[in-house]
Amino acid sequence: MADFEEIASIDDFAEADRLEVFVDDIPVLLIRLQNQYFAIEDVCTHDGQPLTDGCIEGGAIVCPRHGARFDLQTGKALCMPATKPVRTFEIEVRDNRIYARSQ
Amino acid sequence: MAFARFDSDIESKLESTMSTPSVKTSAEIPVGFGEAAFEAFLATRDEPAWVTESRRVAFQRYRELLETDLDPEEWRRVDLRAMRPDRFQLNAAAEANQTEQNTEQQGNTLLAGQADFAGHVIHTDGQLISSELSEELAAQGVIFGDLATVAREHGELIQKHFMTRAVNSQRDRFSAWHAAFWTGGTVLYVPRNVIVEAPLHSLIKLQQEKAADFSHTLVILEEGASATLLEETASEEDSLGLHVGAVELLLEKEARLRYVQLQNWNHKVWHIAHQAGRVENNGFLQWTVGGIGAKLAHIHQDVVLDGRGAEAEVNGVTFSTDRQIHSFYTQQAHNAAETRSDLLYKQVLRDEARAIWRGMIRVEPEGQQTNGYQRNDSLMLSPTCRADAIPGLEIEADDVRCTHGATAGRVDEEQIFYCMSRGMSEYEAMHMIVEGFFQTVFDRIPVEAVRETLNQAIIKKLGFGR
Repeated sequence: MADFEEIASIDDFAEADRLEVFVDDIPVLLIRLQNQYFAIEDVCTHDGQPLTDGCIEGGAIVCPRHGARFDLQTGKALCMPATKPVRTFEIEVRDNRIYARSQ
Repeated sequence: MAFARFDSDIESKLESTMSTPSVKTSAEIPVGFGEAAFEAFLATRDEPAWVTESRRVAFQRYRELLETDLDPEEWRRVDLRAMRPDRFQLNAAAEANQTEQNTEQQGNTLLAGQADFAGHVIHTDGQLISSELSEELAAQGVIFGDLATVAREHGELIQKHFMTRAVNSQRDRFSAWHAAFWTGGTVLYVPRNVIVEAPLHSLIKLQQEKAADFSHTLVILEEGASATLLEETASEEDSLGLHVGAVELLLEKEARLRYVQLQNWNHKVWHIAHQAGRVENNGFLQWTVGGIGAKLAHIHQDVVLDGRGAEAEVNGVTFSTDRQIHSFYTQQAHNAAETRSDLLYKQVLRDEARAIWRGMIRVEPEGQQTNGYQRNDSLMLSPTCRADAIPGLEIEADDVRCTHGATAGRVDEEQIFYCMSRGMSEYEAMHMIVEGFFQTVFDRIPVEAVRETLNQAIIKKLGFGR
């Protein structure tokens, strides 16, 4: 399994609820929800376009184009038109710093 | 075979690098492609004024285009967010890899040693390593060497062809970027009615971590000339790299060119290229593209038939695995009557790989009685890969034959079962099916070495030896 990569600091979330980062050269969306951090690949498995600006509702992100929903924790596709899960990343927070690796 | 050597210039550069520490080294070109990197890069080049001027114009254009969006038709399906060009660095001096050039010259190439070549050009990390051409061909006026040297020695010959007719440096961000920063490349010039029988070989390598290669291939065949150029790219196992390239193939009347480009970078290289061929009356261009490597490869490929009776055959073979993305944006332009184009792309995918092909046949009002064909077939070896094929026709003439087709499908389980019931292993069965799938393209590749090389690469990718 890949090593943890440092991707952000907690301070980066001062004014934002999400950050666009890279893990292992993959575009990743790092999201903070009630002091919990989630990282998912920033690509909708339905149309292959970014999820970056999608609304977050009930622990899931909604694709801004066609309304597909993905669970932030598991990556599972919760409704059509997406049928495949989005890739998720394991997160570790140490000394104010956030690390991630592929699962 | 007798060879004339054209690398004396590089040798003298090597000497000066060793004796004078003030010579620019790679450390002196800042990382990335901003103003400072551009000026530092220019300072390391010894070039005619027209080249420097064209670089400056292109750089200006590149900066402008960075502020604008890419054409969504071409780029919608290609995700460039993770590319981050500012990580990569141009290599300035020819000090690159002095120690390795003799011992490791052939490295992990696939084609070298497969055939007798009439000449070769080798670049590593954008720097010329060596170039050779048989004396017999040099005596006939054939020029085959690296772009930087040819631009100095035969400027008048290539200036009118370099990024003027085939690849337009103003066209988009990548063509302008390439035109500003091209590092080297291969030039082949064949004079009128000269037939070059044996193939020529060009090898482009990436070696150092985060190295950038901006190679340019320029082929000019005068009236009635004929040649075969095999070009391949290769890189060290695990180093990150960037290639922003351009290929220009210019065929005058009745010229015949067979051009093969075998892209075999490692899976961490970003490969973006503009490639274009122009064919005059009764000329024939056979263009074969092999896409094996790269993390993401996007090729913009134009075939333009300018003269009556011009003909082009475009063959593509790609094999994408892991999370690779192979994307092609092809155009067959019929600008004259009685022209014929035939494009066939065969793509195999596995794992979570993606293949994207968007093809267009464009027939101008002058293109009466033309015959255009395009076909793309995808074979998917796993349920998680994805292939997008989007053929298109745009016809303004009223007496033409234009056809297209695309297929995509999984391997038939019954075929595997049948092969296994005859004593084959599952791997062997899979190889046979993949090889059979590619066979229609292989049948169109006349150079045995290329067929064999592609087949070897496929066996390697399937994950077993035979």
